[in-house]
Amino acid sequence: MHGEYKMPGGKLVVADLEVRDGKLTRVWISGDFFLEPDSALTLIDVALEGVPAVASDEKKAAAVRAALGPNVRMYGISPEAVAVAVQRALEDRA
Amino acid sequence: MSRTQWSDYKWRLVHVAPQPPALHMALDEVLTDEVAARRRPPTLRIWEWSASCVVIGRFQSLRNEVDADAARRHGIQVVRRISGGGAMFIEPGNTITYSLYAPDSLVAGMSFQEAYEFMDAWVIDALQGLGIDAWYQPLNDIASTAGKIGGAAQTRRGGAVLHHVTMAYDIDTTKMLQVLRIGREKLSDKATQSAAKRVDPLRSQTGMPRAEVIERMLESFRKAHGLAFGKLEPAELARAQELAASKFSTEAWTGIVP
Repeated sequence: MHGEYKMPGGKLVVADLEVRDGKLTRVWISGDFFLEPDSALTLIDVALEGVPAVASDEKKAAAVRAALGPNVRMYGISPEAVAVAVQRALEDRA
Repeated sequence: MSRTQWSDYKWRLVHVAPQPPALHMALDEVLTDEVAARRRPPTLRIWEWSASCVVIGRFQSLRNEVDADAARRHGIQVVRRISGGGAMFIEPGNTITYSLYAPDSLVAGMSFQEAYEFMDAWVIDALQGLGIDAWYQPLNDIASTAGKIGGAAQTRRGGAVLHHVTMAYDIDTTKMLQVLRIGREKLSDKATQSAAKRVDPLRSQTGMPRAEVIERMLESFRKAHGLAFGKLEPAELARAQELAASKFSTEAWTGIVP
C-alpha cells in the first residue's frame, strides 16, 4: 500500500507498507525531506512496525516522536506528516 | 559552539576535469570528512559531470523516484547522495552543481532555513548580478520570477557542514519526465501544475555560456569571502575512488530505501 503527503510548508512524505493481522508491517517511509542524523529514517520505520492500523493519527505520530527523541533534527517532515502519509497508504491513495 | 565567519577561513576552489557520478557522491563524503578533521581548508567545489545520471536524495525511494527502464534506455546511471532532498536529472553541461564544505561552526545556532539561505547568499548575489531576479525560496529552492532555478541540500557530519546545489543551465525536460517519476501530490501546492514549467534554466535567462556563468559566480564568491585555487589531494582522490566502488556504485547503497 502506498500513500503520499506533501506537508504544507514542508516536503513530500511517502509511506509504503503492508498490514498483517491488523498491524502495520514492512513500513518504508521515504521522501525529499531532511533528517539528521540520516540513521533516523530507520527509527521511524521501526517505530511504525506493529502499530495497529486503526490507531489514530495522533497515536501514530506519537510513536514516531517517541522513537526519534529530542536529538534528531527534521526539516520538511514531522511525526504528524508521517502519520498522514501512513493513513493515506492505508486508504491506498497517492 | 561559537559562530565563526566566512572571513575566518582561507577558502579553496576545487574545479577539475569531468568525473563520473559515483565519484562525485564519494568526493562529497570524503571532502566533508577532511574539512571536519581540519586536514582540508573550507572548500568550494564546482562539479563537472562525465556521464548523465539521476541523483536521488538520501531518503528517497529508488522505485518511487526513478523509472528504471527509461533510465536504462537512455543510458542514465542512478546514484544516491548522502544528503536529503529531491531527485535531480543531470546531463553533462546542463547543470551547474557546486558543493561547499565548511566547519559547522559557520552555521552554529542557525535553523535549517537560516543556514540554507546563509550558505547561498553569495550565489543569489551572483545571479542578481547577471540580471536575474533570484531569491532563496524556503525550504531549499533557488527561485526566480521566471521559475525555479535550482535546489540545495545540506547535511552535517562530524563537525562539518556540506551544502550542495544543483542549478539548471539547460534541460531536456521531456527526457527528465521520462526518467523521473514526479507525482501529482508533489506538485499539489506549487503555483504551476506542470513540472515542465517549474524549471527555468540559466541559459535562457542569461544568454551566457555556462563557463561564463560559473566565472561570474566565482567572482561573486571571491569578492564576498575570498577564494584561492586549490586541488584534490592524491589521498583524497584515492579514498573517493575506493568509496565510489565500495559504496556509491553498489545496489546496497543506491537501494537502501528501495
